[in-house]
Amino acid sequence: MPSLNITLVSGPPGAGKTTWIRQQISSAAETAVYLNLGSGNTPNDFRRACAIDPTYLAAEVAGLTVLPVEQLTDFLAHPLAGSAVYVELGFHIDLTSLILPDQMADCQRVAVLPPGTRHTEWHGWADLVVTGVETGAVLSQPHLWRSVLSGQVLDLASLNTFWYELTHGAYGTVQRAKGIFDVADGRSLHFDFVTGLAEATYLELNLPRWLNGRPDRFSGIEVVGEALEQEAIAQTIKECCLNDQAIAYYQQQIKDSLDPGDEVA
Amino acid sequence: MKIAVMSCIHGNYEALNAVLSDIDDQNADKVYCLGDLVGYGPHPNAVVEMIRALDIPTCQGCWDEDIVEGLNSCECSYPSVLAEKRGKVAHDWTNQVIHPEVREYLAQLPLSLRDDNLCFVHGSPHNQHEYLMPEVDAFVAMERVLATGADILFCGHTHVPYVRSLDVGQLQIRVKLTGKSEPQNTSFSAPLKRIVNAGSVGEPRHGRPNATYVIYDNDTDQITLREVEYDYQKTCAAIIENGLPPVFAWRLSKGLEYAERADDPTHVCER
Repeated sequence: MPSLNITLVSGPPGAGKTTWIRQQISSAAETAVYLNLGSGNTPNDFRRACAIDPTYLAAEVAGLTVLPVEQLTDFLAHPLAGSAVYVELGFHIDLTSLILPDQMADCQRVAVLPPGTRHTEWHGWADLVVTGVETGAVLSQPHLWRSVLSGQVLDLASLNTFWYELTHGAYGTVQRAKGIFDVADGRSLHFDFVTGLAEATYLELNLPRWLNGRPDRFSGIEVVGEALEQEAIAQTIKECCLNDQAIAYYQQQIKDSLDPGDEVA
Repeated sequence: MKIAVMSCIHGNYEALNAVLSDIDDQNADKVYCLGDLVGYGPHPNAVVEMIRALDIPTCQGCWDEDIVEGLNSCECSYPSVLAEKRGKVAHDWTNQVIHPEVREYLAQLPLSLRDDNLCFVHGSPHNQHEYLMPEVDAFVAMERVLATGADILFCGHTHVPYVRSLDVGQLQIRVKLTGKSEPQNTSFSAPLKRIVNAGSVGEPRHGRPNATYVIYDNDTDQITLREVEYDYQKTCAAIIENGLPPVFAWRLSKGLEYAERADDPTHVCER
């Protein structure tokens, strides 16, 4: 059986775990496998699980294999030779009670922590501490809210307004927010917010435009914060969504404007 | 003589009171109002009653028209699906609470007012719903002022206070009459014209909750933009108490307008 090169990556929300993993994969010559524990599941499960990071990496990193959680046991029994495996742990996973399969006992443990972080549970757990990005004040009672939006198409102007409101405190204190949204022109957009970081615009994911009805691929949102007004967040997202008639209208307009060689789903 | 001009109160009684006090402090001789007395804010009846009690000459805004005529705007009124849905919530709420005599008052408001060389409108001389943003094309801006015959056009609607001088207007006209072979060319310099936007009393969009209005002194030809602090938290509390969307209160406190900013300076309403 080939030896396994597995790296477990943990850290607080927004510190840069997924970004660090992407950097490692991009700079390495070997093939890579990615598994996310705690943020839901994989793009194969897009109607039930909130798979923002797996979807983002699968779209942006060529050749990456994203492993569904339910396939982990099989994978460990028959691993890909010569590949690096990165397992990202959600911030809310209790490291002390985490039970790993025997094949993962010798894996490297990496904690991605904000600058200046000292004496945390991650320090005792990790083999290597990587300095990530500032994540703002530590929340006393962090709350995680998620919603799967697969099949929904949002009006981009409305989405921009909602995202501004969300990340500026209209619905409670938000420390971290990320989302993948399908918009009316067929693009899949990745939004990413961490308190204290400069505001960034969204990233257009490397996926074909979806211009034939409601998208059959993952979209969703995840928010970490305090005193989150979940109903108001959900209601506002709902108000950003287009109905079938509007979706068909906009998709036809985009189709008419595309060149014959443009990739469309 | 000092002329105070205010606009876009949007049912924000606290803001209106503060502006009226400031107008008193500035010793203004006349007050004009450019409409949008109602919509979004929690006190539409009180605002109208105050304007009526003080007999302030007022022209009809787009929200005033919509409360009388029903929602009938072209899409330029709402820059997004979200803004449209929020606008309809605000419209329905206002429509339910408005008193019959207030609706009658709004219905009889004129579309424009004149005072010597000054003209007062809500959006533009053509339409209450048209935005004359500060960046609007100079030819369009000049046309809007010339259409009134006035030297200064006072408007609101955008919620952005500004003064724009149109002082280098060179216009060329080419006319070819049927049956005549040579077209006639005419060119002339347009005289100095100005557009003055009074901003918004009750729904600012300049990043602070403060009310804005303008004072024009026709003796010195000076225009002063006024920004007035008030207890916006009272309005925010009333928004929530009255069952309007809480996000309206948050947006008011940030100076972001209630629903969403409309940002299309090039759009000319075709309604």
